[in-house]
Amino acid sequence: MLSRRHMLQSAATGFGWLALQDLLAAAEPKAKPDPLAPKKPHFEPKAKRVIFLFMHGGPSHVDTFDYKPKLTADDGKPLPFPKPRVVSSATGNLLASPWKFKPYGQSGATVSEIFPKIATVVDDLCFIKSMHGSNSRHGGALLEMHTGSDTFIRPSMGSWVNYGLGSENRDLPGFVTICPSLSHGGVNNYSSAFLPAVYQGTPLGNAGVSSEKASVPFIAGTTPRDQQRREIDLLGEMDRERLAKLGPDPALEGRIESFEMAFRMQSAAPEVQDLSKETKETKALYGLDNPATANFGRQCLMARRFAEAGVRFVQCSHSYKWDQHGDLKKGHARNALEVDQPITGLLTDLKRRGLLKDTLVVWGGEFGRTPTAQGKDGRDHHPHAFTYFLAGGGVKPGMSYGTTDDYGFYAETDKVHFHDLHATMLHLLGLDHKKLTYRHAGRDFRLTDVHGDVVTGILA
Amino acid sequence: MLRFLTTVCLFAVATAGRAASPDADFEKTIRPLLAEKCWGCHNDKKQRGDLRLDSLAAMLAGGESGPAIVPGKPEQSLLITAIRHSEQLKMPPKEKLPVAEVAALTAWVKAGAVWPNAKPVAPPEAKPAAVRVFTPEEKAFWAFQPVTAAPPTDAKSANRIDSFLTAKRLDAGLPVAPPADKRTLIRRLTFDLTGLPPTPEEVESFEKDTSPGAWGTLIDRLLASSAYGEKWGRRWLDVARYADSNGMDENLAHGNAWRYRDYVIRSFNADKPFDRFIKEQIAGDLLPGGTPAERADALTGTGFLVVGPKMLAEDDPMKMRMDIIDEQLDTLGQAFLGLTIGCARCHDHKFDPITQVDYYSLAGMFYSTKSMQSYGVVARWHERPIGTADGVAKLAEYEKTRTAANDSVKKLEKQLRDAVKVRLEAERKRATEYGDAAREIARRGGSLKLVVADPAKDPVPGGIVVEAENYTRGNAQKLNDGYGAGIGVIINGGKLPNVAEYDLEVPAEGTYQIALRYAAESARPTVLSVGGKVLRKDAAGEVTGSWNPNGQRWFAEGVVKLSRGKTAIRLERTEPIPHFDKLALLPVSPDFAVAVPLRLDEVAAEKKLLPTALRAWVKLAGKWNDKLPAVPDLQTLADDTKGPFKMSPALDEEVEPTTANELRKAKEKLAAIERTKPVVDEVMAVEDEKSENLRVHLRGSHLTLGAEVPRRFPTILAGEKQSPVAEGSGRLELAEWVASKDNPLTARVMANRVWLGHFGTGLVRSPDNFGRLGERPTHPELLDYLAAELVKSGWSVKHLHRLIVSSASYRMGTRYDAGAFEADPDNRRYWHFNRRRLDAEELRDGMLAVAGLLDRTPGGTRLTTKNRAYVNSTGGRGFDAYSVPRRTVYLPVIRSGVYEVLQANDFPDPSTPAGMRQQTTIPAQALFQLNSKVADESSEAFAKALLEVKGDDAARVREAYRRTYARAATDAEVSRAMTYLADSDAGAEAKKLKAWQGFCRVLLASAEFAFVE
Repeated sequence: MLSRRHMLQSAATGFGWLALQDLLAAAEPKAKPDPLAPKKPHFEPKAKRVIFLFMHGGPSHVDTFDYKPKLTADDGKPLPFPKPRVVSSATGNLLASPWKFKPYGQSGATVSEIFPKIATVVDDLCFIKSMHGSNSRHGGALLEMHTGSDTFIRPSMGSWVNYGLGSENRDLPGFVTICPSLSHGGVNNYSSAFLPAVYQGTPLGNAGVSSEKASVPFIAGTTPRDQQRREIDLLGEMDRERLAKLGPDPALEGRIESFEMAFRMQSAAPEVQDLSKETKETKALYGLDNPATANFGRQCLMARRFAEAGVRFVQCSHSYKWDQHGDLKKGHARNALEVDQPITGLLTDLKRRGLLKDTLVVWGGEFGRTPTAQGKDGRDHHPHAFTYFLAGGGVKPGMSYGTTDDYGFYAETDKVHFHDLHATMLHLLGLDHKKLTYRHAGRDFRLTDVHGDVVTGILA
Repeated sequence: MLRFLTTVCLFAVATAGRAASPDADFEKTIRPLLAEKCWGCHNDKKQRGDLRLDSLAAMLAGGESGPAIVPGKPEQSLLITAIRHSEQLKMPPKEKLPVAEVAALTAWVKAGAVWPNAKPVAPPEAKPAAVRVFTPEEKAFWAFQPVTAAPPTDAKSANRIDSFLTAKRLDAGLPVAPPADKRTLIRRLTFDLTGLPPTPEEVESFEKDTSPGAWGTLIDRLLASSAYGEKWGRRWLDVARYADSNGMDENLAHGNAWRYRDYVIRSFNADKPFDRFIKEQIAGDLLPGGTPAERADALTGTGFLVVGPKMLAEDDPMKMRMDIIDEQLDTLGQAFLGLTIGCARCHDHKFDPITQVDYYSLAGMFYSTKSMQSYGVVARWHERPIGTADGVAKLAEYEKTRTAANDSVKKLEKQLRDAVKVRLEAERKRATEYGDAAREIARRGGSLKLVVADPAKDPVPGGIVVEAENYTRGNAQKLNDGYGAGIGVIINGGKLPNVAEYDLEVPAEGTYQIALRYAAESARPTVLSVGGKVLRKDAAGEVTGSWNPNGQRWFAEGVVKLSRGKTAIRLERTEPIPHFDKLALLPVSPDFAVAVPLRLDEVAAEKKLLPTALRAWVKLAGKWNDKLPAVPDLQTLADDTKGPFKMSPALDEEVEPTTANELRKAKEKLAAIERTKPVVDEVMAVEDEKSENLRVHLRGSHLTLGAEVPRRFPTILAGEKQSPVAEGSGRLELAEWVASKDNPLTARVMANRVWLGHFGTGLVRSPDNFGRLGERPTHPELLDYLAAELVKSGWSVKHLHRLIVSSASYRMGTRYDAGAFEADPDNRRYWHFNRRRLDAEELRDGMLAVAGLLDRTPGGTRLTTKNRAYVNSTGGRGFDAYSVPRRTVYLPVIRSGVYEVLQANDFPDPSTPAGMRQQTTIPAQALFQLNSKVADESSEAFAKALLEVKGDDAARVREAYRRTYARAATDAEVSRAMTYLADSDAGAEAKKLKAWQGFCRVLLASAEFAFVE
């Protein structure tokens, strides 16, 4: 439903709205507030938007950013303390990381040799080494990561953010998820659940589609543009006539406007997705010139363009690749290669365009992987400790927060649960996670349910 | 007293074994640790989780989650599992204690939790469940009061509904909208009752019918239409969170869910008494009597309990089970009672008088119900056979036969295992023999060497080389091109087993090597026989890299003694053979013959050793450097149950060939029986299993249990004095109680749902929540009147429809009134009729209907995925069920992947009960109208149909208006359309169709079509 203000704004684009305005001037019902109008946050935000780089499958923290010399030293020995009661599969003894680690940058963050490019930008990153979640299976963990609940269907964090802040660009959806997985919760990972549908994530393609072919549902049709314009003009005329006859009605007004918006979106969305006008240097920066990195690189470059266009929440998914129960060496090396350049490129590009300061970039998976071995060359799911990194919008750069034990098995100090991460992300966007509520089925719901503490230690 | 003594003794025993003073230990390590890390939140002033940790008594008494420690048993101590951070409860929450501190506390608990100067404390018993006393306000809450019959009225007044609404409206001084015209009314009623638009003919005939009973006749016709059940059944399916797949983490196909869907549609069409409908869905499996078809229907109804979304890959089976029960209770509560019972899982309901005890009293009924066949990852929901008595009997008979066959397999397996065990015990005493033999084999290891590298190019005197194609007998295919290009080979010709047998003339008695030249990209071991005796079962078993001529290589296959004269060499394989090129018989010297590697099978046969065990010994012998280990070491190896004498199925054949053969046959028989499983329809359904009460789960966790509670109904509604369920799960009693006419909620909740379906808003505007946080009824007397009517009519839902749509209020127009809007913007007093947009199904069905495409075939499933198979991968949906013009209700509902057309048009999330559709306006809806396949196809079909219409374009435009809106077009409308067509149509036929298609697309997208007045 759209407000009169929006209709008047649209009228400026000139599609014969004058008669309607006369009508509205006569008697206008108090239109319900526009659910997508930009809203004032609870307090001054540090970040205006989020880009979430989701590593589906669960990257191993002890092979990427959480360096554990003791794990190397005690390779093959049993874990010297009890494992959790509930595990996804049985694991064996400690397994050293097959990769070497080195400190980088002024911050001295240790990074595994599988991320040589990200290693060059660690001074822009804020690592959280003490992440933990509640569920050891992909489906539950994905839902918990996206919605805060591994048991019930709840709104996704992108939906909450749009509900809390509204949209900055009315020609584009406020929550876009590029190539999301259809499994492990599928749509429920970006659905608005009980929040109004205007806040649902708009999927661009899915994990089975190359990012080149990822598009908004129904965005492209078979009707030529000039013909479609004629159809929308005719439709608009008929609908406005009907509105005039029936009297004011926000639902009817909204519908009329939605066709115009759809028409604009049809050019706006593909325009954001059209990477052809980017320079050769930029394309190379994102790894578009390399078949191994091009797919995720395109996602990252699109994410920057969506961010520029004012989309609140953009998710890129490196889909279901990181699940190395076996073949860790080959699998993780390949995965890292596919994202290393694109992510570094995105961070570099955001920074040089001045976008990084109010864009929050979040990197991570649904869980980590066991420091103990599954088979000879594999690791199992591990929600008890893993690493995330954040960059930009209000987080301290070049720092590492929280620690795990000597082997990276349990998060040990300054533990950060998904609920805490959610609370912190909302905080950076100017939203108090305890105040961002929605009344449904008899109670006020929050992204963080009854949990969550803002991780103040990482705030800039 | 006895317990007291036990505790004291425990301390004594525990302390006795320790060198250092436990008191000193406590003061040095434990007290400072507790003080620093725990007492901040668990002390005399502050008790997070209702827990203190500053005395032994406090620890044993525990908090919300039960006792903190069990002295001597760290694994059972909540304090220890919490500090390990290995369970849900993690303490301290943000900081895991260092390993050394965890170890210290664990050791302290293990040693008996010595607390200097503490008085011995008896371990507490589980506290009895607290009895919650309800406040007068809670008891007086409107929804829990009995339905009050409407006061008598003078018989002449019209429909009672109108009197209730008018009274409220007059109180507020609001005007009332004038009645809608007949065309608007028939469109409204037809969509409301059937989800379809009226045909132009239906509209015209209704307009012409000026008899006083015209409206009643129309109501009767629509209620009798099968489309009624398709519309209202779907409404119930919203509430029942119906779906054809599980969604959640493991999106498996609900291959049989559609039977529940069809059952719901059937029930509405038959106007099945609603109380019966409720009972079938809660306890249809337990309802007595009825015809076989009625019993099948009742069982199908329990699909309501099974069709919900479940985490099927939850690693903790107990958590999974409780989560599933929670989902059942939550849905049942909202669907039938308008109560959010699920809120009481972890604690008493924060807003409604539903206690945690009430929750687990109900949960016990579902804990005593089998909804799942297994809780292991990936878990299986329960299904049960329906259909004819004959079919069910056949399935039972089959199960009996299969079980018997399965039992004999199990019996033989056990027999073999026992025999092998006995034999292995005997063999363990022959460790030296095995060691010796193994060492010898290892020493003479390596593969048999060819006499010459290429016997064809480098002939051996006295040797024979034959082309494989020149077999004497056999069925292998000879090939001179492709795989045999330039050399000629034999390959599989299609008949199995592949056979090639060669009659060879041995020139002189002697020892011969048999060599084969072949190519194989994958191993195809072949049986090689000489003179009718199997020489090797695994001849020609190497991989050479390719099937082609460039993969051809020579291999030595064995050594045999042959006499002079004719001998037959045979190659045979039950599956395709390698690509054989040549066969050679090569004489060898006596030295060569002695150096021939020992063949393990031959040695084993000769010495009566078990080949499998010997093979394991040979593996070990590879590391011995030809030196036999000392006897005790050999015996250690032999005695190791995971060593060379470990159990293995391969031993069956070697120890008890006859029984092993019997087992193989028994397994074949079982497999054959399983192939004959009779096809009997199955439905997602439940049945009773062992009746058990549950204990209250403190904070909702199955790891911290409180007092046991009997199975019974919520006390605020059923009172304190109810007798608990004595036998069975209690579901039947629950069903009777829910569906009772005296239950204050059930009839009200359903009457409200029917009202909402007609007026767009409920009398209670939160249709699934009649609790304190729900809305209060706008017209309580009217709600009670409708609820009472529902019960009085024998729970006839159609009676309610008739009552409601017969009212004058239902026939109001949607006229806007500025003053009334100012006073009552949400139309709570019903001063005009609510305009509504078509819901997702009505929109798609309506477009297809106007286009003449709608296929009205009822029932069945479009899901092609096998039951319990994954409906979609990470990438895409593995089927296309949506391309048919069937009514939308019959298309599969895939959780986590709802059909885009439904998704764009406010179809509710099929994972949660939804009593009301949202009406949002999003660009996706416009994009759907502009670009979707549904819009393309219906507008094209519509355009083609119009172009068939006789007359000029103006006549066609008029016909288009008639078919879409069932009204005549005005001249202005016709001329506007003509202008559009002229602008779009340059004359060419193809363009003409496109222009008309565009016109039709606009009509089907227009507000006049998409909204019901």
